[in-house]
Amino acid sequence: MSGRKKTLLKVIILGDSGVGKTSLMQQFVNNKFSHQYKATIGADFLTKEISIDGNKQVTLQIWDTAGQERFQSLGVAFYRGADCCVLCYDVTNEKSLNNLTSWKDEFLVQSNVSNPQDFPFIIIGNKIDVDEAKKIPSLQKKLQNITNNQLGGLNYPVFETSAKDGINVEAAFEVIAKMALQQEELNDANGNDVSDDYNDAINIHLESESSGCAC
Amino acid sequence: MATDPDIVISMPALSYPKARAKENGKHIQNDIHNEDNDNEQDNNRDNNNNNNTNDNSIDDINNSNDDFNNSNNDNSIDDDDESTTPSSPPRRRLSYLDPSTPSRHLRTPSSYSHNYSLLDIYDSPSSERSSMAPLATGGLIDTSIMKGLDDLEFKELSNDTTIFARHTIDSFPELDISDQESESYVQPTDQDTIDRILASPYDRYGFKKTSTHHNISLEDYNKWFSEYAQDAIRRKKKWNLLMKSNGLQLDSAQAIPTRFPPKSDKVKKMIRQGIPAEWRGSAWFFYAGGYDKLNKHVGVYSKIVRDTKDIQNKDTEVIERDLNRTFPDNIYFNSHIGTDANTSVTTLGTENSRSSETAMVKTLRRVLVAFAHYQPQIGYCQSLNFLAGLLLLFMEEERAFWMLVILTERIIPKVHSANLEGVHTDQGVLMLCVKEYIPQLWAILGKNFEGESLSEDKILTRLPPVTLVTSSWFMSVFVGNLPIETTLRVWDILWYEGSKTIFRISLTICKMCLEDPEFQNSRSSKGSGEMDQIELFQFMQNYPKTILEPNVLIDNCFKKIGGYGFGSLSQDEINKCREFVSKQRAKLNYKKSNITAEMTEEERQALISSSDSTFGAEDQSIHDVYGFHRSIMSGVVWNKSISNKMKRRFVRRTSSRS
Repeated sequence: MSGRKKTLLKVIILGDSGVGKTSLMQQFVNNKFSHQYKATIGADFLTKEISIDGNKQVTLQIWDTAGQERFQSLGVAFYRGADCCVLCYDVTNEKSLNNLTSWKDEFLVQSNVSNPQDFPFIIIGNKIDVDEAKKIPSLQKKLQNITNNQLGGLNYPVFETSAKDGINVEAAFEVIAKMALQQEELNDANGNDVSDDYNDAINIHLESESSGCAC
Repeated sequence: MATDPDIVISMPALSYPKARAKENGKHIQNDIHNEDNDNEQDNNRDNNNNNNTNDNSIDDINNSNDDFNNSNNDNSIDDDDESTTPSSPPRRRLSYLDPSTPSRHLRTPSSYSHNYSLLDIYDSPSSERSSMAPLATGGLIDTSIMKGLDDLEFKELSNDTTIFARHTIDSFPELDISDQESESYVQPTDQDTIDRILASPYDRYGFKKTSTHHNISLEDYNKWFSEYAQDAIRRKKKWNLLMKSNGLQLDSAQAIPTRFPPKSDKVKKMIRQGIPAEWRGSAWFFYAGGYDKLNKHVGVYSKIVRDTKDIQNKDTEVIERDLNRTFPDNIYFNSHIGTDANTSVTTLGTENSRSSETAMVKTLRRVLVAFAHYQPQIGYCQSLNFLAGLLLLFMEEERAFWMLVILTERIIPKVHSANLEGVHTDQGVLMLCVKEYIPQLWAILGKNFEGESLSEDKILTRLPPVTLVTSSWFMSVFVGNLPIETTLRVWDILWYEGSKTIFRISLTICKMCLEDPEFQNSRSSKGSGEMDQIELFQFMQNYPKTILEPNVLIDNCFKKIGGYGFGSLSQDEINKCREFVSKQRAKLNYKKSNITAEMTEEERQALISSSDSTFGAEDQSIHDVYGFHRSIMSGVVWNKSISNKMKRRFVRRTSSRS
């Protein structure tokens, strides 16, 4: 598998609607910010080539998703084969922070990655450019509660960013790329072809149906 | 019918559009061939389907008019196809040319009022109206707005309907009516308007001509628009003639009609060529059965608005976040557009941003919140904001609200429901259509993300990745996917012809993608695999945004010669396929519902095999359906007779079992 010309790393950005997923992606890929992003319907992606540690060239394929819960049912196809998942919240919206766990769970269900225990997730708290007064009260404490909870907590790297001012976005995606590369190499080493159909219960069902029930 | 010299002169153009098109040497969509096999029969069927939701009076009217037309035309199903219908069309033309010729086609006021006798039913109970009267008089009504609305919407209504419409507005007293825009957002196309639009960075609907969403330059836009606008002026004249020949006289050149000719091949053709921009709201509302909806629900909207005024829940939360993200590139939605310091937009949904929001955004909030309340099984679904937003540019809020209801109840049911089941169903249908009608494209997109071909039995369970792109075409009905004028043309056809339009247009876009040289080149230079699927995805997502000229899309869709002839895809086929796909999905979902994240692979398999055994005989019927689908889909041309034959066989088999 190392013979592949380009290393393609697939990154999925998840989080409640309006936390700034599109803005983060646009800021990282195109270095721009606009007040005129429309609500994302379905999914969209952009790619960017970067070098990791100054030598390894990789292509990041970043998937931007619709934030409303019901759109998750459309997500199955592109969660598959993800190398890293970015969980986003809005530092002014406590609910979006509280929902991170369910976004993570949903991702694991849909993508059915081979190593759910140590699949690379990263947390991004966006919109740090807004007034202090608007931010979630005692944010750090609440964030700690969520990340350090021993029982299924989100013990992942956290970045606080401003997609608007371009603060910390580059740094976050650098870490994302590194984590994704590790995951990709891990998958390669295991000979674990994530593209396989093994994770699709419904498929198995259909196959067993069409071949099995001759009785 | 006045024998205005102008009209006499332009009559031949009405009858022989091809000649006119050649004369001008321009790309005019005049000669769209109507190649619907289904035709008006299909329209009738469409209407019958609509009737499921108990909103049938307008449809009935249209049906009766259709029948009227059909009987008049005998066997002429297609007034374009002159070779097959040599006698009827001239007869019809004669009726336009010579008002003295007795023809039942001619819409005289008397035949017209006869057609609307059904509405009279609603006129009778005056008690309800009078009971609402104190409410109306007690409220503060901005009379200038009332007047504006009257001028705008109700001028042409027959008396009874005017009363209803008025009544509905009257019962708005608790509404902050000062927010409502009284003037139309869309100006008629005349030379002044054209010049103004050409000089402005915004188009006639208030959208920025250039935007981050497409690559169309200001020059491209203006070049296209200056030609298209002239075409629009010519088309408006034809519409005026059509109205006149149907006995629908307009008071002045600026008047917006509220009644339109009954459904017929002629009208269908005119609609496919585009409704005059300033008439759109009114025409959409008329043909979609809006009057019926409105008259059956007098006062309902304003009541919901009152009831939901201060409501706060999960839906309103998402709505708030989407209000400023609906059409941020439109001046009616974003007051900060064009200014650099639009800081308040970052504080979405806070009190701050409310103060600076436009009247349009306030209206959009009311409509979306009311809709979420009225249709709890849908609530608020992202993309409804785009649909409601576009409707609001063309009609007042109550009408927009009911149009949203009509769309989600009848045209694309369940597409916005909590589990988006309708999206999955319709994508399944679309993919089966692609497989059937554009097999070359299916060979490319009928693969999973890793580039492996999807075997036939997996199409529905594992929709190809490209359905992520096409789902948005269905959910937003092309708003934001196609350039605005092209979207509006599709909407013209959609409200008249129904949901098959979305499939026909989707297939057309797919085929246009396939035939694009850029796409062809990128295919030939590469192998297949994961990157391929990604590029396909990206191409299909970006390509539609470049279809600036509506006529290109529409001609490709409907023309038999020089186009793809997707007009032959009937509503019947779509309905059958929808039924098939949704049945399949219902079975699969049932089984899927028992699977959870904590299960290991073995446990899942165990569950599935156990559910297999519990299903028993029912599973057998899935097989039958699959066999049904397969024999239709693999290689055999999926025409109506085969569909029907297979359907009969299927029905027989299932009924014999039970």
